[in-house]
Amino acid sequence: MMEQFNNRNISDNGYFLVDIVDYPTTGWGKFKRAIDRTFKLELFVGLWVVLREMIKFDIHTISYPEEKMPIGPRYRAVHEMKRLWESDTERCIGCGLCEKICISDCIRMDTRIDEESRKEVSEYTINLGRCIFCGYCAEVCPELAITHGGEYENASDQREHFVDYEAMLTPMDVMKQNAQKEFEGFGAITPHEDERVKKTPLAY
Amino acid sequence: MSKIVNFKIDGKDVSAQKGETILQVARANEIYIPTMCYISKTTPCASCRMCVVEAEGVDGLVLSCNTPPTEGIEIKTNSVKLEQERTNIMKLYDVNHPLECGVCDKSGECDLQNKTLEFDISQQNFSAKDQVRKIENWGMINYDPALCIMCEKCTHVCNEVIGDDAIDVKYGGYSSTIIPKNAETLECTFCGECIAVCPVGALISSDFQYTSNAWELSCVPSICAHCSAGCSLEYETKYSGDRSSLSKSIYRVKNNFEFTSLCGAGRFGFDFANSAKSDINAFSEALNALKNAKAIRFSSIITNEEAHILQLLKEKLGVKLFNEDARLYGEFMSAYSSVSGKLHHSGSLDAIKQADGIIILGSRVATDNPGVRYAMTTASTHNGAKIVYAHPIEDVLMKNVVTQFIKYEAGVEEGVVALLANTLLTNIDLSESERKYFDELDLGYLEAESNVGADELATITKTFTRTQRRVLIIGSDVFAHANAANIAKLVAMIEKYTDFSIVVIPENVNSAGVSLICDLDVDDRSDAVGYNAEGTFTIGSLEGADLAVPALNQQEGTVVSIDNRVLPLNVALAFEGYTLNDLANALGVVKENTVDYTQELNSASGFKAVAFDDLENYVDKYGNDVRGYLLDEIFCEADGSLDEVSDLPEFNGVVIYHSNPVLQFNSYTNSVKQLEKDTTLRGSTQFSAAAKVSDGDNVEIIFGKQTLRRVFKLDKELKGTIALNPTFDISVDASKYKFLKSKIVRVI
Repeated sequence: MMEQFNNRNISDNGYFLVDIVDYPTTGWGKFKRAIDRTFKLELFVGLWVVLREMIKFDIHTISYPEEKMPIGPRYRAVHEMKRLWESDTERCIGCGLCEKICISDCIRMDTRIDEESRKEVSEYTINLGRCIFCGYCAEVCPELAITHGGEYENASDQREHFVDYEAMLTPMDVMKQNAQKEFEGFGAITPHEDERVKKTPLAY
Repeated sequence: MSKIVNFKIDGKDVSAQKGETILQVARANEIYIPTMCYISKTTPCASCRMCVVEAEGVDGLVLSCNTPPTEGIEIKTNSVKLEQERTNIMKLYDVNHPLECGVCDKSGECDLQNKTLEFDISQQNFSAKDQVRKIENWGMINYDPALCIMCEKCTHVCNEVIGDDAIDVKYGGYSSTIIPKNAETLECTFCGECIAVCPVGALISSDFQYTSNAWELSCVPSICAHCSAGCSLEYETKYSGDRSSLSKSIYRVKNNFEFTSLCGAGRFGFDFANSAKSDINAFSEALNALKNAKAIRFSSIITNEEAHILQLLKEKLGVKLFNEDARLYGEFMSAYSSVSGKLHHSGSLDAIKQADGIIILGSRVATDNPGVRYAMTTASTHNGAKIVYAHPIEDVLMKNVVTQFIKYEAGVEEGVVALLANTLLTNIDLSESERKYFDELDLGYLEAESNVGADELATITKTFTRTQRRVLIIGSDVFAHANAANIAKLVAMIEKYTDFSIVVIPENVNSAGVSLICDLDVDDRSDAVGYNAEGTFTIGSLEGADLAVPALNQQEGTVVSIDNRVLPLNVALAFEGYTLNDLANALGVVKENTVDYTQELNSASGFKAVAFDDLENYVDKYGNDVRGYLLDEIFCEADGSLDEVSDLPEFNGVVIYHSNPVLQFNSYTNSVKQLEKDTTLRGSTQFSAAAKVSDGDNVEIIFGKQTLRRVFKLDKELKGTIALNPTFDISVDASKYKFLKSKIVRVI
């Protein structure tokens, strides 16, 4: 298996060297190149390619922003905060690991005790101006609460929009349609995790 | 029989003092034995059984925490069997322990987590039916029984070191929990020591809970700024709110609970920092005020360096320095020195802890100085110390440790000390004049007037004959006594001729330091610039001062504790503004930093020429206090002689006593968020009948020139006809004796 990569004899694999003319160094050489480019009509070679493809209507470019390319599940764009399937409440438990691991120091959270003696996240911000989208926060999250989504269009007329916790949370209508995407990238549970877990014995 | 026991641990030759256990010897020799419930400052709980070792020739396993070694025995701390035993214990601890480490406040500082990982517990073969356990809210303390591992450290410190004896184990096998003792909810002095010792997150400060992870907090070692016990503590700070604002706040206070203790004022009363901003106008006004001032009045809640600057200002500007509390303490100590021949009292908190006979008088110590109280409790529970508590008012907080309560009348301390000295010096060789002095005492009169009976004194003689390490503790009541000097001399007599060591409790955090540094004048209540005290122009760290200066947790400096130890304070929170040193610089007393004065403190009082940055601030792993340095012992001429005991005063009618409720000391503890601020006048049923007031009445108290409005609270636990009046929320003239004849009028 590895041999094919270790084999560096390029000529056997259908590779060939392209014969590239060296750049002219002398004044006469440069003059000759200018004349060649002008009178051999190289420009029209290119124009013809464009015209030919246009007439064929077999266009490979997409018309952004009407059309968008699908983004791979491991792409790391703007963060998303997931909700619990059972209760629709926030999945974040406020453990503070994302804040700790963040190497560009852009996550900041405040927690407090709520009425039911549970830990509650009272403030959560990500400064996307500092974020380098390294994915450590998603990797360290023990609850798979913070993930990277595919939203890469970071333009807004309000700076606050970049750090809005509410905007990162899965919208409730998405939850109602059972359409919250589970993150399957970095740090996600492997498909056969159940088989590997040793359960607590329940002898009683 | 030899007192040293030689034996072997893991092949290493070690030796134990009499009374030392195998575990103590192992720890002193750097041999590791895992424990879960062991805490150095209490007797072994012996509940975890992790510390088991094998002893040669002994069947079964031996608990190293409570077993003293025998001569020549060979101890093994590690074997397959021991490993298995310990692993099984850890597994049992982990049964149904909630897997909420992610949110738990221990956040990695957890003994259970550490040991679970240490013993590599990756699977569980024990199980028990999980049960519903309700989280309890006990005011400043929250208790989650699901997290509790029943190590019993909390009950041991509460009972043995603090003396509240407020929590207890409710035994029930797997369903055992910690419960408030004989009460529905926790009724204690809220020292929070149980929170400190809890190895898991079961007992947690309710204010701190879920606000921060341990790793986010930066730790600033310092000294508690509330009383003179000089307890070490660590302020833990974190950026609060928006990080860009760069404002830090203190999240909690921790202490080295393995060896030291801290009361609730230190633990929960940490947010007294001054947040005032720099104000150049106020600064120039302060300069003008100081230039025109005839006197500076200041409190003892300042550092030695500040006191030193004030002294330099006095010399430079020719102003008077007023600080009644430190002046009276200083005068008491110099009267003491005139007989004892040395500047500082001989005892310390450690001496109290190790004592087996203690006499305390002139202090409601549980509220005046919790550090002394904890030391007394330790002495009582660990050494079975005989404790004589002499005071006009009985204190219910001390009932567990006091073996003999002597109730004397208010104002008669001089007589009590004279009687005490006479009793303790009975069979001692005194000089002729001194013997004559005691022979001439009118014992009958003193006993009758002070209400201290001859039988009570005889009991002291009887109980103290068998004691070996004795301490006499003198409280701050006596400093403002009319004959304080003679009391001090009598106390010095006791120290000189008996093996009693003396501890004098300074009133405020640095009364001792100030009295050693400043040359104080008698406060004639004339106009003065106030430095952390009242005055025509006030410079202070409390809200409302004309010029803001940093509080004690915002500056570097040193204070002198009850142990005569010079202890360093560190900056927990930044202060943006002017300090006393800036004022001094502008007035021509020039030094770049306040702490540059640390090495220049008055060496005639025993200060060493040690720079601030060379002062350590920690208790080492063997429990040795290496904080700061002890003042040098200074000897002086013993030229004083005892004065005749004057006629004992009588306090008839309505008498109030200046005494703060638990955890309250001064305006700083009054300004913090968590501590309870009970400003009621508390009196017994007897008092309420005598003063004709009943529970809940609004009363006006008139004493001297002061008039004060309070709500009267009937306290069933109090006895006698003296009511307790808190002073933390008012300014009191420290030169006045704490017992006051007063008039109480009910107002509507």
